[in-house]
Amino acid sequence: MTALDGLTFSVPAGRVVGFLGPNGAGKTTTMRAIFGLTDLDAGSVRWQGAPVDQAARRRFGYMPEERGLYPTMHVAEQVTYLARLHGLDPVAAGAATTTWLERLGIAERAGDKVESLSHGNQQRVQLAAALAHDPELLVLDEPLAGLDPTGIDAISQVLVEQAHRGCCVLLSSHQLDLVEDLCESVTIIDHGRVVVAGDVDVLAESGPRRLLVRVEGDRAGAWARGLPGVRVSESDGGAIRLVLDDDVDSDDVLRAAMGAGRVTAFSFERRRLSEVFREALG
Amino acid sequence: MTLAIVVGCAAVLVALRYWRRARRSGAHHDPWRVGARSIDLHGAPLVAARELRERVRGRPFRIGTALILLAVAAAIVIPILTRGTPTPTQVGIVGPATPQLRAAIHTAAAGVGTSVHVVVEPSASAARDALERGRLDVALLGDRAVVVATLDPTGASSSTQLATALAGVLGVHAAYRAAGLSPAQIARLAGAKPITILSLQPATKPHNAGSSVIGVILVFLMLTQYNTWILLGVMEEKSSRVVEVLLATVRPIQLLAGKVFGIGLVALGQATLIVSFALVLGAIVGSNLLHGAAPIELAAALLWLVLGYGFYCWAYAAAASMAERQDQIQSVALPLSIPILIGYVFSLTVAGSGNASPFFKVLAYLPPTAPFAMPVLVGLDQVSILGFATSVVISLLCTVGVARLAAVVYRRAILRTGSKVRLRDVLRTAH
Repeated sequence: MTALDGLTFSVPAGRVVGFLGPNGAGKTTTMRAIFGLTDLDAGSVRWQGAPVDQAARRRFGYMPEERGLYPTMHVAEQVTYLARLHGLDPVAAGAATTTWLERLGIAERAGDKVESLSHGNQQRVQLAAALAHDPELLVLDEPLAGLDPTGIDAISQVLVEQAHRGCCVLLSSHQLDLVEDLCESVTIIDHGRVVVAGDVDVLAESGPRRLLVRVEGDRAGAWARGLPGVRVSESDGGAIRLVLDDDVDSDDVLRAAMGAGRVTAFSFERRRLSEVFREALG
Repeated sequence: MTLAIVVGCAAVLVALRYWRRARRSGAHHDPWRVGARSIDLHGAPLVAARELRERVRGRPFRIGTALILLAVAAAIVIPILTRGTPTPTQVGIVGPATPQLRAAIHTAAAGVGTSVHVVVEPSASAARDALERGRLDVALLGDRAVVVATLDPTGASSSTQLATALAGVLGVHAAYRAAGLSPAQIARLAGAKPITILSLQPATKPHNAGSSVIGVILVFLMLTQYNTWILLGVMEEKSSRVVEVLLATVRPIQLLAGKVFGIGLVALGQATLIVSFALVLGAIVGSNLLHGAAPIELAAALLWLVLGYGFYCWAYAAAASMAERQDQIQSVALPLSIPILIGYVFSLTVAGSGNASPFFKVLAYLPPTAPFAMPVLVGLDQVSILGFATSVVISLLCTVGVARLAAVVYRRAILRTGSKVRLRDVLRTAH
């Protein structure tokens, strides 16, 4: 089975890069390859122009998809231990642990065993462990999965801050709305190949025109189906998003909508990341 | 001895061949090559320190150590308590208790391995009464008759043995007097010392089965315990997936080496504590278990415990890395426990009987069974220093080979999840 097939992409410093793809596309395999956890048959992972070695990996931070912490080890000890494995001395590791546990709102659980923490708090400990050694590259596999909105906000804020201080942040997620808010650029892969890559804003502005239309009494947008050159992209809170071919006149669409009922919303919209994703994967 | 030299030479030849092959392919970068220049143990000391801290802090370690110390204390102290202080046999004399008669009584008592307390009874009836009441064990009516409450037909009771001995000694004394010998002449004859006995073969040392058995049991219990620690430690990291975080920072060999060295240090500390405790307690209470060759035997057991741990720990770590869940641990570790059980059972049998067969001597040179068999041979004084050293060298060489193989298996299996990994598949894997 070929997991990665000519996959090439880069992660620029100072940006949060979304690494997207359907299940089985090769995201986790790619992330593991960065850390040498998967042997590549061909190709290489390079950091600042040179193949990644063990010394470079010690300057990376990693949060795997399947969270990995010692269940019976105390929170602070665990973060300190992992920071020391990344090369920090005991004093620096202790200080970084204190800082990050406070920053992520779990300082009061520092002396507790990891297994006694909730899923969300374990996730925060995992992130603290990935951040404690002040990494130059942060690779996070589904860091937002299973978190409540507060947790998502806290972690998102930290990731943006890390990127702003010059860190390369690469994260995978299936929560495309969150990725759209959080990431400045994305790489979408499928079957081990890159299918789309670029800035989120550029991708959003590209492609055919899009209309957001809300017609009272027709949440599913039945009125739009069958209009020539018009395709219903997705539903959005009672409205529908339409993709127009180049030769379609938007006035014709408005007239059709008004014919179906009272039009309460009619506006041109950017392409959403979820649409980019779907369109990229066909 | 010949066997030891043959096995030793074979091991050295295999090691040389292995070393040459390793040198030939030395240009190829392989961080897994133990002993290769490319090996980098960064992180291993930290891993070892964590293992040490976690083990020592854990309740199972403390309780386990306390239980073993209690068992050792019981094995040393209970025999002494049950041995107790022998109660002197009460001997009553009716008639004049002359020094010659007292000397004869003590001589007879020493002959049957007992001590006596001599009292003078006023009359034969008083002596009989004292015998019936149990105040006396044996009564002498002058030097004419020996009276006991009940004569044991098997001759096993101490009073019957003493009575029989007294009857003989006093009969001889009576014969001396009848022959007209003076008391001084009688005393001189009574004090006759046996002449020297010469043996054509050197005397064999008494076999102290107790210390050998204790040594074998301790090696078995502790080796099993340490192997279990390795199994659970590797399994914990794999099942909690923390191994993926760790291996993103350290190489598998560094993680593996740190783990086995950390647990090894705990094991060595615990074993040293237990052996020291046994030696000190034995010296304090004057235990027979620690006399003669026993301290050397225990030291040999300690050394072989370390060598046995060194040999098995890598294999157990590799086995644990192939399991997916905790309930699979026993099945992956079973093949490794078989040689341990063989070594243990044979060694226990030989330690008890004192007879080492040629097959058992072979076991003492095979690294999987040597940790049990070799200390027993040391206790039996049936191995030379050269033979002992040969077995140590064979064990060390094989440990290097096992460690290298285990490192490869560990690296290939530790990140495979979803199902139990088969050794055949691991060894076939290209990477």
